[in-house]
Amino acid sequence: MGKIFDLSFMISTIPPIVGKLPVTLWIVFLSGAIALVLGFLVAMVRYFHVRILTQICKVYVSFMRGTPAMVQLLVAYYGIPIFLRAINASLGTGFSVNGIPAVVFAVFALSLNSGAFMSETIRGAMLAINAGQLEACYSVNLSTWQALRRIILPQAFTNALPALGNSFISLLKETSLVFYISVIDMMAQAKITGSRSYRFFEVYIVVALIYWAVCFLMERVLALLERHVRRYERGIVK
Amino acid sequence: MISIRGLEKSFGDNRVLRGVNLEIAKGEILTIIGPSGAGKTTLLRTLNWLDVPDAGTITIDGATIDATRATKRSIKQLRSKSAMVFQHYNLFNNKTALENVTESLILVRKLPRAEAEARGRQLLERVGLSDKCDTYPSFLSGGQQQRVGIARALAVEPKVILFDEPTSALDPEWVNEVLAVMTEIARDGMTMIVVSHEMRFVRNVSTRVVLLDDGHILEDGTPEQVFQHPRHERAVQFLRQADLQ
Ligand SMILES: Nc1ncnc2c1ncn2[C@@H]1O[C@H](COP(=O)(O)OP(=O)(O)O)[C@@H](O)[C@H]1O
Ligand SMILES: [Mg+2]
Repeated sequence: MGKIFDLSFMISTIPPIVGKLPVTLWIVFLSGAIALVLGFLVAMVRYFHVRILTQICKVYVSFMRGTPAMVQLLVAYYGIPIFLRAINASLGTGFSVNGIPAVVFAVFALSLNSGAFMSETIRGAMLAINAGQLEACYSVNLSTWQALRRIILPQAFTNALPALGNSFISLLKETSLVFYISVIDMMAQAKITGSRSYRFFEVYIVVALIYWAVCFLMERVLALLERHVRRYERGIVK
Repeated sequence: MISIRGLEKSFGDNRVLRGVNLEIAKGEILTIIGPSGAGKTTLLRTLNWLDVPDAGTITIDGATIDATRATKRSIKQLRSKSAMVFQHYNLFNNKTALENVTESLILVRKLPRAEAEARGRQLLERVGLSDKCDTYPSFLSGGQQQRVGIARALAVEPKVILFDEPTSALDPEWVNEVLAVMTEIARDGMTMIVVSHEMRFVRNVSTRVVLLDDGHILEDGTPEQVFQHPRHERAVQFLRQADLQ
């Protein structure tokens, strides 16, 4: 045992850990994109009270909000192969179970998780829009779809942006759980690097700083986006 | 040109329209007055199919719709005949003044963008707002917003414009500019149905007044007839209470 805090070791761990940043970012990007689409679809189902689907969506949202993300990851990781094997057995299909990279399970679970939260955000943002906006659309003979696309959804998106931004930031942090299902992301790399030298504090400081830096950048981008989408609102700050 | 027959509408147990019959000729400027809760707004909204009546038929310029047999197509056809000006303007918040006017031109009438914008600018000029084309509604005064609302309604080239208390949400200083625009449109021959208790408009512009009370038409005549010689005791009471004589 040497130094209490080994700065030069800490610096030396930055390259391997940053090397896995793309893995983390890809998971955030893919899961976030899928979650947005999913959240949007669920929000629409519930906004228009589509029969049967509404019930299914309610159960989905409740389950995803009521169980820890880590449990969801593990359920996906162990459950999907079992599910595929069952399908193979009953339908005689030949889905390869072992060939699926673990990152697919990670994206699957995180999209479903984040999509549930985003659906509530988007639905709330749509409900917050005054009924007069839709009525004005109908009064000039826009169709429901045109009204949604041109008037309702753009305003809902503006309203939802801060909360959606939070969802993206949560997603970034939840990706740190994927090492549990053997995806080598930044967090997993930090563990590996740390265990080689038994110096964990330094590597965790490094990952913490990298997450924070990415978060900071995301916040900046969100702030710019927010300023753009709020251009039609009268605010104190311009 | 407009024919309303046996129009009924309830919200739960609340019978709001109790068999309304009304014939309106082209070019008439009809003002609807009546106590709060009488069903004035509901009547206007059914004409634009924003509220769906329970029974009755509506015909506007040859487009007939039967409450019990409305189809998507007949609703669209009916809506294409009228346009609404709302009490609280209801401008599209995320669109500039010009875009508010051109939205239906581009999406419904399918005009090319350049043509739609030229037309939109003309209409905004007509309501005295040619300098506000690129301004978003939240940066406009109430009077200006309502004038954009009128330009937006004119853009659909409706057979009739429905005004629901167009000046009642306005500060007094903005009322005149909106009334001036409405008066000009009336002079140009537009058919108008206006829910309003604005006496300057009723006296100077209206050709006909209808007093709606509890879902019935109580009085129907020229402003002179309805205000000076009401036939029903309830009408006399209302006119006295509302200080409209
Ligand atoms: N969407 C609605 N749901 C339930 N009740 C309504 C609704 N719209 C209007 N009403 C009721 O219908 C009655 C007539 O309303 P309205 O047409 O707005 O009257 P007015 O415009 O003459 O004041 C009122 O009692 C009102 O509470
Ligand atoms: Mg009203």
